[in-house]
Amino acid sequence: MLEVSALAAGYQGSDVIRDVAFHIDPGEAVMIIGSNGAGKTTLFRAVVGLLAPSAGEVGFEGEDITGMPAQRVVRLGISFVPAERHLFPRMTVQDNLSLGAYPKRPDPETMAVVMDLFPRLEERRSQTAGTMSGGEQQMLAVGRALMSNPSLLVLDEPTTGLAPKLAAEAYEALGVLRKRGLTVLVAEQQVPLAMAFSDRGYVLENGRITTEGTSAELARDPEVRRAYLGVT
Amino acid sequence: MIANILDGIVLGLQFGLLAAGLTLVYGLGGVLNLAYGQMAVVSAMVVVFAMDAGVPAFPAVLLGLVAGGLFGLLLDLTILRPVYRLHGEARVLLSLLLTLGVAFIVDGFLNWRYPLKALNLFIGGGAVEILGVPMRRGSLLASAITLVTFAALFVFFRFTILGRAVRSVIEDEEGARLVGIDPHRMLRLILVLSGVLAALVAITRSMVIPVDVQAGFGITVFALIVAVVGGLGSVPGALLAGIILGIVSSIAASSIGTFMSLVILLTAAGVTILIRPSGLLGVKE
Amino acid sequence: MSDRTTATGTSAIGGVEPRISLSLPSLLGLIGAVGVALALVPLWVGDSRVLMGVAVLGLTFGCYAIGFNVIFGSTGQLFLCVGALAGIGGYGGAILADTVGLPIIVSILLATLAASLTGGLLSWIAVRRSLGVIFTGIITLIFSLTFDTLLLGLGWLTGGENGFLIKSGADSFLREQIPPYYLMLVLVLAFLTVHGLLRRSHVGWAFRALRDDEVAAEMTGIDVARYRVYGALVGAGMLGLAGATYAFTEGRISPNTFGFAQVDVVVIVMLGFGGIGTLFGPILGAATFTVVNEVLIEFGQLRVLIYGTLILLLFLFLPRGVIPTVRSLFVKRRATRATASPD
Repeated sequence: MLEVSALAAGYQGSDVIRDVAFHIDPGEAVMIIGSNGAGKTTLFRAVVGLLAPSAGEVGFEGEDITGMPAQRVVRLGISFVPAERHLFPRMTVQDNLSLGAYPKRPDPETMAVVMDLFPRLEERRSQTAGTMSGGEQQMLAVGRALMSNPSLLVLDEPTTGLAPKLAAEAYEALGVLRKRGLTVLVAEQQVPLAMAFSDRGYVLENGRITTEGTSAELARDPEVRRAYLGVT
Repeated sequence: MIANILDGIVLGLQFGLLAAGLTLVYGLGGVLNLAYGQMAVVSAMVVVFAMDAGVPAFPAVLLGLVAGGLFGLLLDLTILRPVYRLHGEARVLLSLLLTLGVAFIVDGFLNWRYPLKALNLFIGGGAVEILGVPMRRGSLLASAITLVTFAALFVFFRFTILGRAVRSVIEDEEGARLVGIDPHRMLRLILVLSGVLAALVAITRSMVIPVDVQAGFGITVFALIVAVVGGLGSVPGALLAGIILGIVSSIAASSIGTFMSLVILLTAAGVTILIRPSGLLGVKE
Repeated sequence: MSDRTTATGTSAIGGVEPRISLSLPSLLGLIGAVGVALALVPLWVGDSRVLMGVAVLGLTFGCYAIGFNVIFGSTGQLFLCVGALAGIGGYGGAILADTVGLPIIVSILLATLAASLTGGLLSWIAVRRSLGVIFTGIITLIFSLTFDTLLLGLGWLTGGENGFLIKSGADSFLREQIPPYYLMLVLVLAFLTVHGLLRRSHVGWAFRALRDDEVAAEMTGIDVARYRVYGALVGAGMLGLAGATYAFTEGRISPNTFGFAQVDVVVIVMLGFGGIGTLFGPILGAATFTVVNEVLIEFGQLRVLIYGTLILLLFLFLPRGVIPTVRSLFVKRRATRATASPD
């Protein structure tokens, strides 16, 4: 479904990620793990169209989307939830969600699914996004991304700043979505959660992919265990 | 006193609508359009020329509105391209300088070729009494049109998908992109809208007093001050600031005289900006 | 579209200044050379009163441009009240000399002080309220307009629209044809020297740091507020001094002499052309546009249109100004020559 090859991208002339290649098949859950500054955010931004790659290719469902601007990528069926969420702070939950469906009118069925998944959003329908707590904002960001009925959902560190209980709830929700056929790509620092959730993963270090494999394989890999699972 | 307040409201509504166009463009695209006054004047001149050529008033006015919109579109397609490559303060500075250049070109041209032209839409009929004060029909019609326009803007931004899309770009440009909204297209739309609003204000103003070719820079300065006091990017703020400053200006003018009232207006605006730089209804960064 | 290089702040327009490579003797020598070159001007326009008047005005604008350069180029504060600050000098000096009766020198000094303190106050206010570049611009613009309105409205003090006829110094050398030119030239050279020395001092180093990245500057312990106010005090003082001196050489000033459209816009274009933040940019800009302005006089109202076109062309194609652009061309040529040389 998503094919990334030899991707390089960065800021002001110097590349943060180099020669990155990975793929995702429909229905899979794939994780990109790596420490702070490894380049996960840069990678996602380059794939999704918020950043122009300096080299390489990105293909989605057979179509070349390298360098395509984000607002067009979204229309193709990829939804991105960035780490900073980028909600519309002075607009209500309701408005934030309906805009997720842009340019179409929000589909009542999809809305119902989102509300079902995140009951707290239902309660706060008319509340402005800026006044909500971190966890609620995260739910709203994911909810908004779902309103366009994407085939691929990309999340950049969705559990940042969330209490463990909320983080677990977040992954539970993602699990429900997976069962309904959604393909998920997630970047995480909280590796155990991502590992339990994903089928496969890639390790990004200093801008390059160093290891890849199924979650089970990665869980057994001594380097991964040492660096990301805190096992000596 | 009541007469002053009513006059102030008439003036203030115009200030507000004028500022609304400028504030939207800044709030959405971080672009400061110093050619705004010229947009208004050019539109007024189109109406004048149309009427001179025998076109009846109403279609001539429509032509003026279209001219305003086209001016905005032209700005977007030409001068603003290099501006879009920058961000933040650099973008504001460059847009300010380039639109200033455009303003001079248009202003210079108009003053050179048609130095005495002015638009004056005379609305006949006797005075109408409001709250015991006789008001000219021109003022009332201008105010009514302005209020209707504000209402239309309100409906647009609150209840239409496109309006919400525009608001979303003002709120968070990247977030807007992530839901499939093209910020540049929205900016283009708003530039056209600001041109139409500028035209509308010039045309309705000419129902009260003539709008001449030299009015350009004064219009821009007033629009800017009201927009800043109201809070850059906020249309309700522009309206509120407009009305308040309109009333202040009107009261001061009748009790102290035009020079001092201008000083008071400017000082009031300056003090407001200093106390609350984000403006009356602006967002505190 | 997708992320481009984000260029924020005044650096994008003025260009990031390379390290100062001039030694002190070279600097003074260069200033001296400029002085000598400019001193020769009366040799060929000296007998035309009109042209000498233009030349004096040109040097005055050079002073204004240097003052604005110190405030905007060196400390990044967009002061859209250059004319007003010069006007405080001009009108202040005139009122003190004629109405109050103080000696000319004292009047000029006091007026300069008033302008300097006003600039410092504006800067201090902007810093205290954390006003960004644009808001500083707006506040100073409002100040400018207020000052202009006061000049027109307080007719009993300022002569209003008709202007102020300055009687003090009417018989002195100040009103002759050639001496005012050399007087203003002395000011220009003095300002250049002050600015040049300032840039080389620790103050200048602080200026560069805070103009390019305020947050980083704060973190290295530079008191941004203090240096901004210093810059404004110096720059505004220059503007006031130039305005006051010019007023006494002209003998007649009006609100138009110090208006926004007449002074600020012109100074911005001059500095933008020469190169914001460079030392000699203001001189290049002032010289160029004084000549351009003279050439354009015959076009009457069309001048405004041509001016607008020049502004557009300038900021579209030479946004960093002539001197930085030429400098970077030099650097590029040296670099390509180096890489192209055979092993």
